Amino acid sequence: MSTVGLIARNDLRRQFVQPLAWGLLALVCALFAWQFLVAVDAFLLAMPKLAALANAPGVTDLVAMPLLRNASAVLLVIVPLLTMQSLVGERRAQTLPLLLAADVGSLRIVLGKFLGAYAVVALVVVLAVAMPLALAAGTDLDLGRLFTAALGMLLFAATLTAIGIACSAWTTHPALAALATLVIGSVLVMLDVGARLRDVDHALINWLAMSNHLEPFLRGVFDTGAVVYFVVVSTLALLLAARRLDTLHTRG
Amino acid sequence: MKAAAALELEHVSRRLAGRTIVEALDFGLARGRVLGLLGVNGAGKSTTLRMIAGLLAPSAGSVRVDGVDLAARDGHARRAIGYLPEEPPLYAELTVHEYLRFCARLHGLPASAIDAAVERATERCGLGEMRRRLCGLLSKGFRQRVGIAQAIVHEPALVVLDEPAAGLDPVQALRLRDLVAGLRDAHAVVLSTHVLSDVTACCDEVVILHRGRVRHAGTLAELERDAWLVVRTTRAVEAAEWASLPVVAEARPGGDACSWRLRLEGGAGAGALAAAIGEHGFGLDELRAEHGALEQLFVTIAAEDSIEGKAA
Repeated sequence: MSTVGLIARNDLRRQFVQPLAWGLLALVCALFAWQFLVAVDAFLLAMPKLAALANAPGVTDLVAMPLLRNASAVLLVIVPLLTMQSLVGERRAQTLPLLLAADVGSLRIVLGKFLGAYAVVALVVVLAVAMPLALAAGTDLDLGRLFTAALGMLLFAATLTAIGIACSAWTTHPALAALATLVIGSVLVMLDVGARLRDVDHALINWLAMSNHLEPFLRGVFDTGAVVYFVVVSTLALLLAARRLDTLHTRG
Repeated sequence: MKAAAALELEHVSRRLAGRTIVEALDFGLARGRVLGLLGVNGAGKSTTLRMIAGLLAPSAGSVRVDGVDLAARDGHARRAIGYLPEEPPLYAELTVHEYLRFCARLHGLPASAIDAAVERATERCGLGEMRRRLCGLLSKGFRQRVGIAQAIVHEPALVVLDEPAAGLDPVQALRLRDLVAGLRDAHAVVLSTHVLSDVTACCDEVVILHRGRVRHAGTLAELERDAWLVVRTTRAVEAAEWASLPVVAEARPGGDACSWRLRLEGGAGAGALAAAIGEHGFGLDELRAEHGALEQLFVTIAAEDSIEGKAA
């Protein structure tokens, strides 16, 4: 097993022997289930009216996508809680010297931490996708659109996780790391709200806003520009985290 | 070809926040030897150990482990160094066995060697009954033992221990002393401690740091050889009579005319002194090495602080 995988697996194991990850997953599960059932109920009530419409929206539009949109908002809150302990927790527990003295390299440590946290975050996305997917047995779902949306959600979640890891590397307390992740994630998601109200389009501010890059996936469009955005932001965040570990080596 | 020393420090200095923490450190250590690193609080011990462990880069100079400069950061240190910081780096959520397996893998042991390595480290550190216990539930003494086990599980050339006896009760401290002394069979060991008796019991060499500089570096055997001898004769002896003995370098009164403290010429031993005392008819009642040569040296060096402080 590679060192990255080893660190990721160790983190994942440690996450699941603590109550936080289980508690958050249970909470998220209950929240998604409630939203899902409400959406299905509303869809069933609206079905007679929808039947009369030409090109009426289906269950994918009215149940699956709203659920995934809500899940993206839930991720904004859940990810800071799942990543806050990652590196600052190691520093506070004084276990970071074990990783640093093993001379595995800062980037490998950061990648291991990222994958360890992302495995849990990705599980949240899988839970959100699994619920509408269950309807496939009884109705016609647009599976292509659902999987494209799931891919977008996974990229969105990876970016938030990378930001969380960077915040955990650069702060001195887990609560500060969580707060910083929440603030940066929220700002990136809502960055262009004002611009959109003024109908500003194609500007840098629109490009920087994370929600604009998630939206095409939720509409079923695989947007390579958005993929580049998510990869660039994630990579930048992880490099910043690795830079912090290098600073610890050179500056103490 | 001469084998590379397990550890070599060459003109190593470290500055932090514009302040010199350690300066011009030069010392080395061979496999099979234990070096005690002594110093008062703030002398630069932990900074030195962190540089030796590869956690902190020197501002100047080089640290070589097994002949390889740590500045290369090529993964060599991964296998060559085992480090126990002042606080053992344990994951509270893992059992001792899980934790040691993780450490063995982290240090790059091949999968086929991990079980045997973990078993060996567990046995050497007396952790057999604790292997299924969560690290977070261990007593301080066992936490230190697990810390040492993780430092040796990958059989490194160099083991670096930062105050492993801190906070232990006397029984635990004695057991830990035996454990550390036993490490010399397979490793070079650098031991930082405040406990001088640990150094005299475990170490072959001693380096005393003070204000970031090496004030003494040598073997304990040299220190003991250079120690003063306490002599009690059956008759009163004058200082001039001691001076007439070729083996005696210096003589100081020890309380009365029959009690003296003697320092011998280099190469001369207590046997030669006893023989000379017999030849000159002083009559020998007692001859022993003065206890605490290391303590005296350490206190003398540490006292420079207050002397320099007063002078300033």
